Amino acid sequence: MFDLRVVVEEVRGFCDLPMRSGDYFEVRGGRIIVPEGKHICLWALSAMLPMFPAKQRKIDEENDWLPSTQHMCCPDPNGMVIYRIDRIADDSSNTQQAVKKVEQERNKPFPRMLVDEKVCTGCRSCELACSFHKKGFFLAEEARVRVMKDEENGLDRPQVCRQCGNARCVQACPEGALERHPETHAIILNAELCVGCAACAEACPFGSIHFKEQQPVICDLCGGDPRCIERCATGALRFGRAGEAALKGGARAVMKGGQ
Amino acid sequence: MLYGYGGKVLRVNLTSGTFSVEPLEQELARLYLGGRGFNMRRLYDEIPARLDGLSPENKMFFSVGPLVGTMFPGAARFNVSAKSPQTGILGDSNAGGFFGPELKFAGFDQVIIEGKAPEPVYLYIHNDKIELRDAKHLWGLDVWDTQRVILQELKDRRVQVAAIGTAAENGVRFAGVFANLVRAAARTGMGTVMGAKNLKAIAVRGTNPVRVANPALFAELMKDIDSAVYSHREYPGRALMGTTKLVHALNEAGCLATRHFQTGRFEAAESVSGEFLAETVKKKSKSCFGCVIPCSRFFEVKQGPFAGLKSEGPEFEGLAGFSSRVGVTDLAASLKGVDLCNRYGMDVITTSEVISFAMELYQRGIISQSEADGLDLSWGNTATVLTLIDKINRREGFGDILADGVREAARKIGRGSEEYALHVKGLELFQADPRGLKAYALGYAVASRGGDHLRSEPSFEFSEDAEAGQRMYGHADAAFRLKYKGKGRVVKHYEEWSALSDCLEACKNTIVNMEIIDYPLTAKLLKAVVGWEMSGEEVQAVCERVVNLERVFNTREGLTRENDTLPKRFTHEPLPADSGPSAGSVVELEPMLDEYYQARGWDITTGRPTGSKLRELGLAKEALELKERGLIHD
Repeated sequence: MFDLRVVVEEVRGFCDLPMRSGDYFEVRGGRIIVPEGKHICLWALSAMLPMFPAKQRKIDEENDWLPSTQHMCCPDPNGMVIYRIDRIADDSSNTQQAVKKVEQERNKPFPRMLVDEKVCTGCRSCELACSFHKKGFFLAEEARVRVMKDEENGLDRPQVCRQCGNARCVQACPEGALERHPETHAIILNAELCVGCAACAEACPFGSIHFKEQQPVICDLCGGDPRCIERCATGALRFGRAGEAALKGGARAVMKGGQ
Repeated sequence: MLYGYGGKVLRVNLTSGTFSVEPLEQELARLYLGGRGFNMRRLYDEIPARLDGLSPENKMFFSVGPLVGTMFPGAARFNVSAKSPQTGILGDSNAGGFFGPELKFAGFDQVIIEGKAPEPVYLYIHNDKIELRDAKHLWGLDVWDTQRVILQELKDRRVQVAAIGTAAENGVRFAGVFANLVRAAARTGMGTVMGAKNLKAIAVRGTNPVRVANPALFAELMKDIDSAVYSHREYPGRALMGTTKLVHALNEAGCLATRHFQTGRFEAAESVSGEFLAETVKKKSKSCFGCVIPCSRFFEVKQGPFAGLKSEGPEFEGLAGFSSRVGVTDLAASLKGVDLCNRYGMDVITTSEVISFAMELYQRGIISQSEADGLDLSWGNTATVLTLIDKINRREGFGDILADGVREAARKIGRGSEEYALHVKGLELFQADPRGLKAYALGYAVASRGGDHLRSEPSFEFSEDAEAGQRMYGHADAAFRLKYKGKGRVVKHYEEWSALSDCLEACKNTIVNMEIIDYPLTAKLLKAVVGWEMSGEEVQAVCERVVNLERVFNTREGLTRENDTLPKRFTHEPLPADSGPSAGSVVELEPMLDEYYQARGWDITTGRPTGSKLRELGLAKEALELKERGLIHD
């Protein structure tokens, strides 16, 4: 069992309680301990409460999303207070310290494809970059990322693997042909096992598994350096961790005046 | 097969409902590169002199170029050419979006449309599967509805559609071909030709790879091109506003066509500017296929009488056309005007010209309200502008008089109105007043498709770099927009650069305005893409060949130096005092023309090409034909 420290990391909106950056409380065993003179918001507490017992336990399951979930948000839409849940260990024990360090490393979410369709121009440069990098020629049907367009409504949706924590495609595959890359966490296809049943594509909530000649084509993050992002001018595709500065990609210029 | 090309030419005969697939001739590719070059070659070879643009014998040519389908930024365009039913001379227009690349992925470099279908049809190209499909149910639908129904019918959202709207069906002479709803090849009435052929649309879907000869070299060149694009000083402005930035910029220069070119400053320019649009209704930036310069935009109007209006666009031409040109001060009303033209499928430049022309005639008392179906033609009357767009589309009442373009409208109205019909060779001008832009003025006068800015775009005259003017064009004045010397050479250079852009089917914003590639770099790109060992000079010769062939075509149609002219307003009526830095300017065209013909190696007296120039460019056969017709003498 771990004890937890829940820290206010950022206040993106307006919280009139107020909760301030750096405020924290701890979950020790079955008790919540709030430092003297501090308080905890009922809204946020109600949202996070079910998570605490789970986060207190050590889980070692393949594909589990819980270890890499560290951030939660207050449900007050005006407040947008972001909390970070840290596991704390007993300071007196060296062994536990070492465990804590490993856990923190392990629990840091893997960088993934971040998609912001609100700024996607629909140019499909990502498709070209992908097929050129993978195949040496240009063809959208070879691309692992594809943009779905609704021209009348100006909607452009890049469909690319988001490296879900709890990947439904992996679970859905009856042949066990999909697995995680140990380093990049990308979904990797074992083509020899794949029978082309498309169960993975049906399971994908983002419509991001595309098919070419009865075989799925899935983003493999180009081994951790996705090339499509180099050709995305607006930052609709970025690579990194949500809430942090992107490791790769971003807008090349201001695309919209006024805010 | 050549790398970079689709390798096939599709020829469709609508009369018989048959088609054939021909291989792309390698010699044609090397001598004309693609796109506009291919089209001009066919136009000259296959269209007899003096053919009526609406005749079933007229042919349409749709072409793409060698970079289309690759990741070169803006290589997304297609040219459509035919004999123009609007101007009676060479007809040609191009558009971006996604249609051109899809044609390339289907394996075609050019599609030739012949004859006339007995009943409305649309052409569906799905790789090698070619089909003429019934379009009776599409006849009467606007551009947007047509695309929607076709996409539903073909059950593939990746099909790209180039369609005509109702204006083309109704025989409006300045109807365009529209891809991706708003990507308009709108000039010179190419949609009108399609309508006369009973061809409602071309739908295309392709799944063949576009291969380049040397991927490693191409990737290396693209790295340099990307960094040149991203570090370009114009990049932020283009990403934010695209061409709409010109409303403010030209207004500052005193060259923004206002109330039908009566002055160069629009008092309400800031309420219809690209800056204002970006701050208010813009939702996000948009791009053509594979372009990293997102110069287009999607907007949504949230308030007022036009609330709910949303679309991609507009470009400067439409925005200024339905604001300063007609005196409208409301951004949303201007956007509505553009939207109507897009849906009906009409050229925004010509439509706004004929409406502003009518408004000026009304201002001068040449026509009365009752002649205009009771419409109040006062400047800035939004309801009148929108009603007239609708009437033109339906060729109803006064709209019918305007629906053949401004030259014809003036001929029908008479009473001295001809003087106010602002066109060159039957094609109307866009909203940059040539009096404050001398090289543009020359460009309008000599452009092969009539009064048009996209045949040259000689932006060097804004540079104010006297040394470069002297070095590149033989005179320091070449670098100043209000001066004359050297402009002949400037226009020659930019005409060829624009032709390069149109032959590669890449965007002029990238190539000509941002100057991302020159001839030597193009030669390198062609080496990487096609595999040719070409010099920069050989590339330039292609461009010069295309410009000369166009001149040959128009010469055969009977044009001479007399036709290289500008409306009297620009040569005789100085821009008024409120036009800021351009006040007092007129265009002294003749000396610039002399300089231009000289730079071109053409006959100064007649403006026709010389046999020696044509032979130098490998156009000996054409020289001989002109000689046999008695049009040239060497």
